Parts: sequence; C-alpha cells; structure tokens
Amino acid sequence: MATTTEPVELVGDEATKNVARAAVFAAVTSATAPVSMTHPLAPNVPITLQTLWVFLAGVVLGPLWAGVSFTLYLLAGLVGLPVFAGGASGLGVVLGPTGGFLVSFPLAAAATGLVVHGVSDLRAPADVSVPRLVTAMVVGSAVIYAVGALGFSVNQGVGVVSAVATVVLPFLPVASLKVAATVAVVRSDALVAR
Amino acid sequence: MIGYVPGDSLSHRLDPRTKLAVQAAFAAAAFAHTTPVGLAALTVLALGILAASATPLLPTLREYRAFAPFLVAAPLVEGATLGPPWFVPGDAVFPALASYRVVLLLLVSTAYVRTTTARDSRAAIQRLVPGRVGVVLGAGVGFVLRLLPLLRADLSSIRDATNARLGGERSTVERIRLVATTGLRRAFLRSDRFALALQARCFAWNPTLPPLSFSRRDPPAFALAAVLVASAVL
Repeated sequence: MATTTEPVELVGDEATKNVARAAVFAAVTSATAPVSMTHPLAPNVPITLQTLWVFLAGVVLGPLWAGVSFTLYLLAGLVGLPVFAGGASGLGVVLGPTGGFLVSFPLAAAATGLVVHGVSDLRAPADVSVPRLVTAMVVGSAVIYAVGALGFSVNQGVGVVSAVATVVLPFLPVASLKVAATVAVVRSDALVAR
Repeated sequence: MIGYVPGDSLSHRLDPRTKLAVQAAFAAAAFAHTTPVGLAALTVLALGILAASATPLLPTLREYRAFAPFLVAAPLVEGATLGPPWFVPGDAVFPALASYRVVLLLLVSTAYVRTTTARDSRAAIQRLVPGRVGVVLGAGVGFVLRLLPLLRADLSSIRDATNARLGGERSTVERIRLVATTGLRRAFLRSDRFALALQARCFAWNPTLPPLSFSRRDPPAFALAAVLVASAVL
C-alpha cells in the first residue's frame, strides 16, 4: 500500500474556535428548525426559530463567521442533512417556494453582524446599545424578506407583488416578536463574558 | 424525514460529484424549459432517476406535503385580480408550471439525498471547493452532521423542562426567549469544549479525506449532465 507523508499544517487557535462556533450555530439552527411554534394569528402557519439564530449569530460571531456559519447551514442542507424546516434537505428545497429564505440566511447573518460590529474588532454583545441591536435586526429581517420574496418570485414564476402578498405579509407580525425576543436574549446573562 | 438509505442501486454506486453535476444540470434544464413539453420530457427523466436510485415516488411526494400550500397558492395569487373578472387563468399558467417544476426538482434532489452518505458529500465538497475555504466548508459540514443530534437533544430537553414547569402557558415572546437563552448557553458550552477537542487532536488545514474515485459508470452520467446543460444553454 502506498503511503505519503506531509507536514501537518495546524489551524490556529482563533480560527479553530470560530470554526467550532460557526458549526455549533449552524447545528443549533437546524435543531430548532423542527421545533416550530404556532403562529398566534393563523394557527396553521408555523413559526420557525431559524431567523432568531440568524440574528444571534450576527451579534455573537460577527459578520464574517456568522456568514460562514449559515453558509455551512445551507451547504449541509444541500447535501442532504435534515437541517431545513421540517427536517427537509436537498437542492429541490432550495429551488422551491421557501428557498429564497434559506439563501438569505448567510447574507442576513452577515448584514446583522456588520451593523452590530462594523468591520473592525468584535465588541461585547452586552455593550451594544438597544437601538443599534434593533436596527441590526431590522436590517437582517429586511434582507431575509427581500431575498425570500425574490426567491419565491423566481422559483414560482410569479410577480414580486404576489410574492410579497404570499410569503412576506403573513409573517411580518411574527418577525417583530422575534426581534423583541432576540434583544431580550442578548441582554440576558447567557452572553456575559463572551 | 428523508435521509440516506443504504442500498446498491445505480445511483448508490456513482461518485457524489457525478450526482451533484446531474442534479445541477437537471435544475438548469428545468428552469430553461418550463413549458408543458419540456416538463413532460423532464418528468420521464425524473422517473428514470428515481428508478435508478431505488426511490419510491408516492412516499417521497408525501414527505413534501408541507410545500403543497405554497405550490397551490402561487398560481392562485398570481391569477387573482382586484376587480372583475377576479381571476385571469392565463396569468396562472406559468406559476402552475413552475410549481410542477418544483415537484420534479424535489424528486431529483431526494434521489441524491437517499443515495449519498454525508461522509461522501463532505469529501465531494472539499474536492470541489479549492483551498482553505474548501477545508472550512467540508470540515464544517462534517461537524454539523455530528453536532446535530446533540443540539437537537439539548433543545428538546430544554422544551421538556419548560413544559414540565407550565412554561407552555407563557407568552410567545417569553417562550422564545427561554428556549433561545438556554439554548445559547448550551451552544457555547458545546462549542468551547469542541474547539478544545479539535486543538487537542491537531485540527489541520490538510486533513486526510475519505477516498473518492470515478468508475466506468460515471462517464455516461456526466454525458447526461452535459446534454441537459447544453439543452438549457442552446
């Protein structure tokens, strides 16, 4: 049997920590996906907590690694891990009606991180002011709904107005609940000394 | 839930990179030919792919029933107008075809998911994406695979504990906050221990990948992908 030898090129401590966090965030988002809560106004529309983790990833990991984390999430779903809502996976889901939302997650996580932290070093989440947090999540939500509606429009062959009426308007009330919950989480002691 | 099913069908024996190519080419052709004739031809092909992957049609369709409301709503909403005649059937035709296209794409991607192990997919990702980006993506998908059951158990125990204390009676925001705060704490605990374990085991930029190799079955499948891409472009 042929053997080869090559020097091991170790991954630095900081990068290892970030890769681990990115993978954990992608996994926890996937773990939340089947844990859906019911819409308070329309009981047949499930609320998934995926977007909550998108916001939290932006706040905790910063723009770069939050983007990496949700790229991992998307990629894991594409190759068949049961990570999307309802335990679904595969290219068909990404090119289906809700695929635009899945594609928006890496962009939204990076956008949220960018508003919270800027391009310089990460700041402690507890030091970020509430208006800044809310702005960051509003920007993140805007990216999610814009790309989500665009994806619905392209994948389902409908106009932008119909797409907004079908996949954006029914979900807006819930989006504000998630922003409120995320601010509460970021301000809680779960993030102390991180 | 759809996942890998062991077997020895034709698709099981193809290289994952070949299957990814066929899948992508099928999607390109489906977007380029969203016409009754084009979709009819692709339906025949999709059924062939299912047969070659030992994937049953009806149970697969049943798995995706959550998408049905969206697939039905799209043509209805697009066809509706605010005023007489209230519904224009002509406007609903293309969205209806697009909904059918989604069904075909779901079937073909299910064939991939059912015949490819996560380990093979991870190796394919790292070979297809060059450099350190490929290492991070490949290794990351592998980590997600292994962390998923752990975090799923964490979150479900959090929910059980909350419900046992009548947490289900609280408001939606409060329930979301409880799950997320505790979930976040667990996630940090896991990621810190995991990072330490990776360092202890010399996590490297040049890991040994599972072997992948093309066989004599792969060229015909690649030819199929090439024909599909050509039909989409020309």
